[in-house]
Amino acid sequence: MRTSSRLAALAIAAITLAACSTTPVQPWERGRLARWDMRWDPDPLQAAANEHAHFSKEGSDGHVGAAGGGCGCN
Amino acid sequence: MRKPTLSPSLAALMGAAAALGAHAQSAPETDSVVGYRFNEYGEDSFDGAAIGSQERYKVYSQQFQLDTRLPTGAGLDVVATHEVMSGSSPWYVLPDAQRRPIQVLSGATIREHRSELRGAYTIDPGTASSTTVSASYSQERDYRAGSLGIERSLPLGNALTFGTGASLSHDIIQPTDAILYDRVRHEEKNTFSAFGSLAWVLDKSSVLQAGLQFNHAVGYLSDPYKLVSVGDAILPDTRPGTRTEAAALLRYRHAFAKPDAALHLDYRYAQDSWGVVSHTVDVGWYQHVGDSWQLIPALRYYSQQQARFYAPFFDPGQHDFFSSDYRLGTFGSFAASLNVRKRIARWELSAGVERYHASVDYALGGSDSAVPGVLSYTRGFVGLDYHFD
Repeated sequence: MRTSSRLAALAIAAITLAACSTTPVQPWERGRLARWDMRWDPDPLQAAANEHAHFSKEGSDGHVGAAGGGCGCN
Repeated sequence: MRKPTLSPSLAALMGAAAALGAHAQSAPETDSVVGYRFNEYGEDSFDGAAIGSQERYKVYSQQFQLDTRLPTGAGLDVVATHEVMSGSSPWYVLPDAQRRPIQVLSGATIREHRSELRGAYTIDPGTASSTTVSASYSQERDYRAGSLGIERSLPLGNALTFGTGASLSHDIIQPTDAILYDRVRHEEKNTFSAFGSLAWVLDKSSVLQAGLQFNHAVGYLSDPYKLVSVGDAILPDTRPGTRTEAAALLRYRHAFAKPDAALHLDYRYAQDSWGVVSHTVDVGWYQHVGDSWQLIPALRYYSQQQARFYAPFFDPGQHDFFSSDYRLGTFGSFAASLNVRKRIARWELSAGVERYHASVDYALGGSDSAVPGVLSYTRGFVGLDYHFD
């Protein structure tokens, strides 16, 4: 329950924060948002390498990580 | 292989995140690209009390990527990875006369290889209603893993996009020198993962994403190469046969006109049934310099609290589970990186370096038990991409 409560609190906080947006952004106003550097992961190859390196040295699975298996780690 | 395979569907989350972001932001770049990366990873030498080989771990990896549109309009993304690894790693921990930990390191691995192939096929890529199916296969001498995943995104109005997905993976573990070291000979595990996320366009310059991820692993989740000191005995690393984890992810992106840059803020919270709790914060700054250069400094902080069955060594007695794997101990880490990109016509060069430093002292709330195996490393890469459009 404690885990669920914490996750729910985070989700609610995020939704509340998002709800602060009151001005709709029209499609023709999204040029800045469409930039390469505004992607969640602008360089997927590098993101995968980063996560694999961090992931293999840390105990939590809660990271965005490379697909598939194997470890390649110690 | 030295560690059970971790949730493969997290990649699906990453993929969905990218897709959701693209939808929220509208009109993303959709050009075809071929990419290559060479990565080098090297750990610091061990600075605590230690016995065994001092040759620390090194990894050289190469990544190849083809990301393109098919004649049908569907998207195809294929990534092949090959790694070569060598060096020694933490094996088990012994107490000295004053019960201070002495890390025992394994003999240096001569040379191990890992190959991985991932593919993702996306219907209606770049739209608000895309569907992606993905598959991956990874092979080492002692470890094989395959996974299948599916994800879907749906628009929920002008500024909101919903994403969901699930995946399954199956891993087979066949440790080397199993008879010589009395290790398990053949074990398996299965992992199921599911996620959901929402992405919002907050204004003309910023987007926010929130996601939840659940993973459930069943099977052999111990590390067949690690041992544990229990009283006078040295026993195999023994962990529960199930592990359930929940994670929450928040991501924020803000574009600046002057300076021409973008701010990336990420936070992840994760907690699992073994008692491991972690916090991760990433901050990145994408700075354009002139028409073709980009500098990307970034900082990362990570902290975790240990699993209930972790200790550097154990007193004699009744223990159902025990592990002295440093990755299950309490510690924290700081990482700093700097990447550089340069566009020359259709070619793009990239390079970067990261310094990662971990310590028990960095953990939130401190730690009551030693984690002698915790390590630091330096990593670098160079890359070359060719854009067809």
